[in-house]
Amino acid sequence: MRPWLTLAIIAVAAVLLALLPLTGDAVWIQFGINALLLATCAQAWNILGGFTGYVSFGNSVFYGLGTYGTAAAMTQLGWLFPVGLALGAGAAMVLALLLGIPILRLRGPYFAIATLGLSAAMAAVVSNIDAVGANIGLILPLTRADGMFYELALALLLACTLTVAWLARSRFGSGLVAIREDEDAAASMGVDTTRYKVIALVLSALFTAIAGGIHAYWITFINPASAFDPTLNVQMVIFAVFGGPGTVLGPVVGAFILSAIYEVLASWISTAAAFLFGLVIVLAVIFTPRGLADIFGGVRRHGAAYLLQNIRENRL
Amino acid sequence: MLLAQILVNGILLGGLYGLMGLGMALVWGVLNIVNLAHGSFIMLGGYAVFYLFTLAGIDPLAALPIAMAMLFVFGWLLQRFVLNLIVRSELLNTLLITFGLDVVITYLAQYLFTADFRTINPSYAGANITAAGVTVPLLLLAAFLIALLLAGALWLLLNRLPLGRAIRATAQNLVAARLYGVDPRSVYALTFGLGAALAAAAGGLYGITAHLTPYIGVTLTAKSFVIAIIGGLDNPFHIVLGGIVLGVAESLTALYLGPTYTDVISFGLLVVVLVVRPRRALRAA
Amino acid sequence: MSAAADAIAPATAPVLDARDLTKRFQGLVSVNAVSFTLAKSEILGLIGPNGAGKTTLINMISGALAPSAGELWFEGRRIDGVPAYQRAHLGIGRTFQVMKPFPRLTVLENVAVGALFGFHGGIRSMKEAREAARQCVEFTGLARRIDQSADALGGPDRKRLELAKALAMRPRLLLLDEVMAGLTPVEVDEVVDVIAKIRDSGVTIIVIEHVIKAIRRLSDRILVLHHGEKIAEGDPATVLGDQRVIEAYLGTRRQ
Repeated sequence: MRPWLTLAIIAVAAVLLALLPLTGDAVWIQFGINALLLATCAQAWNILGGFTGYVSFGNSVFYGLGTYGTAAAMTQLGWLFPVGLALGAGAAMVLALLLGIPILRLRGPYFAIATLGLSAAMAAVVSNIDAVGANIGLILPLTRADGMFYELALALLLACTLTVAWLARSRFGSGLVAIREDEDAAASMGVDTTRYKVIALVLSALFTAIAGGIHAYWITFINPASAFDPTLNVQMVIFAVFGGPGTVLGPVVGAFILSAIYEVLASWISTAAAFLFGLVIVLAVIFTPRGLADIFGGVRRHGAAYLLQNIRENRL
Repeated sequence: MLLAQILVNGILLGGLYGLMGLGMALVWGVLNIVNLAHGSFIMLGGYAVFYLFTLAGIDPLAALPIAMAMLFVFGWLLQRFVLNLIVRSELLNTLLITFGLDVVITYLAQYLFTADFRTINPSYAGANITAAGVTVPLLLLAAFLIALLLAGALWLLLNRLPLGRAIRATAQNLVAARLYGVDPRSVYALTFGLGAALAAAAGGLYGITAHLTPYIGVTLTAKSFVIAIIGGLDNPFHIVLGGIVLGVAESLTALYLGPTYTDVISFGLLVVVLVVRPRRALRAA
Repeated sequence: MSAAADAIAPATAPVLDARDLTKRFQGLVSVNAVSFTLAKSEILGLIGPNGAGKTTLINMISGALAPSAGELWFEGRRIDGVPAYQRAHLGIGRTFQVMKPFPRLTVLENVAVGALFGFHGGIRSMKEAREAARQCVEFTGLARRIDQSADALGGPDRKRLELAKALAMRPRLLLLDEVMAGLTPVEVDEVVDVIAKIRDSGVTIIVIEHVIKAIRRLSDRILVLHHGEKIAEGDPATVLGDQRVIEAYLGTRRQ
């Protein structure tokens, strides 16, 4: 897609989305906050996962640190919300920096698994710290300002998406993509692979942690199970991959579509929503293994046969 | 004495863990699929044994082979008709689809079996023997021995039987396997079925020693994963050993730091093993 | 042909100075105490039977492998502990025998990575880097494929892409690992011309090749590896006529 077209789409979408609270519909706004925060997480995951190909299941750690950093700063230290956000984001970035260097040496499934282990271990660590409520959690001061949370979440998503748009056409982003395509070749051509991967992880941690912090203040109650929820991480991956990893708009579109589907399913048949959601994932992987972004081109070229062609390519 | 007791508990529990890891490692090693639904297979095996016992009155240990056969068929069908469609796709897609399956299975289980805690409770559930001041729960001992037995059977299958040769050939090189007249599709389906059957055995034994809910899958998947990494993917006995390492580590953690730290240790161990010994982990791939 | 080698002043450090380079893999010696030097704008042909250690030697020079023993000096500084990406910044560029294109990027994007990150850390401006990449693509005869994705290229074009990517790094030392394998005689002649032009622009080159005709035409000097050892080094006519070299190639050592 042409860069100016991408930027135009981002600008129009941002303006339209910013106007949504004017409808005053509380249900829409609440759905919007959730969808925007999830889209931010998917987009943040995309910085590392989509561009370098390193599949992280540890981004929920950054989310959890943002959540706890904000909550602990506000409830235990009496600091202001923005300071709490900064604390949470700072903690997440420091952790990304410290852990990124050893863990990003691992490749393929080993990186994915190490990050999965990391997120489980972090949740267990936090549930043992009494100062942050151990496994009971923390309760934040109640603020009835859904409109503000909505605009904050939108601003964050916009910042994250613009960062990705910059990545897509910058020297730094080219280095990340080269790592994804062939890490050894990238290194031999002069890409400082370790530094690039770590920076991507730190950027990813920054946006994910702020999303966690906003969510904490909005939802006002947090505990280790919800803050470090591994399913949240899987959602990030699915949204990004469904929408098209390594693209600028794909992860956001994927997140909006899938959270809308989930929301509709939940209101329609609440008990079976998760079941159908799982089914959607299975079918999406089978029929569109390269994500939504690929569908448009694929269907234009091959029509409906595109879906069957994917199966032919990947079956045995 | 307390330490000895803890070690014995850890080792026995580790046998069960090893059994969980066996199916995961087999599927991973042969199909190159990290099956995130493995834990939910264990859960299904547990419920199969539970209902065979409570509804049909079949002794849980006798019900194990039946549950294994059921899950074998389930796994075979799943691989042949669903996973086979994406088996050549990239790793991320196999992770996603097995995660999707895990969600589907978990919610079907919740619908069919309800979310109530279930325990398989035969009359001999509490039996134990005491030797040298150490109490050995007989059921855990049986679970340990069954794990060893199945590891031995798997080793024999892979190393001594023609089918095992076909499986190993397929794991090494698809094209070469085809040249030798092996149909990789049927080998894959068989292997996946075997992995599910091993999960069923682990699930039945898990249900006897702990309680079942539809939601145990995720944690058990993660544990199976840790075990497969510690043990490597090559030798079934190493995987049981990996299970024992995890079992002992968890028991010691529970003793010295408290039971809430066991997950810190088991998942911390995973990260440390991966980072400190990447070569070993990479070789296993 | 060896005029360039003679022209070098004795006081200047050689471009590359390998001293007893050795690589062992779990006890197996792949390269054993190989020493040689390279003068500016010189082309060294590296030949030897399969498994002789040629690619291993290249890997140690580019930084893909760390030597087990020995020293490596590049333009007067020791580099055997320097990571691969920094060697690229110093001016060492390479191609891979087992080609490593970035499969889902276009030819231009592939080559642009070299321009963006190569010598001195590359060109900072995306626009200038793409322009530099475009020139390399044209120079290597890939212009008509410039917007195709790399995984759509056939074998010979993939070889050209390897060369274009390395060239875009503006290397001072270029390591070419079998860039002519599988090409037709006409295509080999084209690539030979391209390599000669690159050398004429002041680049020092090591060429691994099995196409002896091309090696003979290009090389100022030839180094022969056999079982990881240097068995001959010198001007092409002498080396290619050497009885030991012929035996190594024809496998008639054991008579």
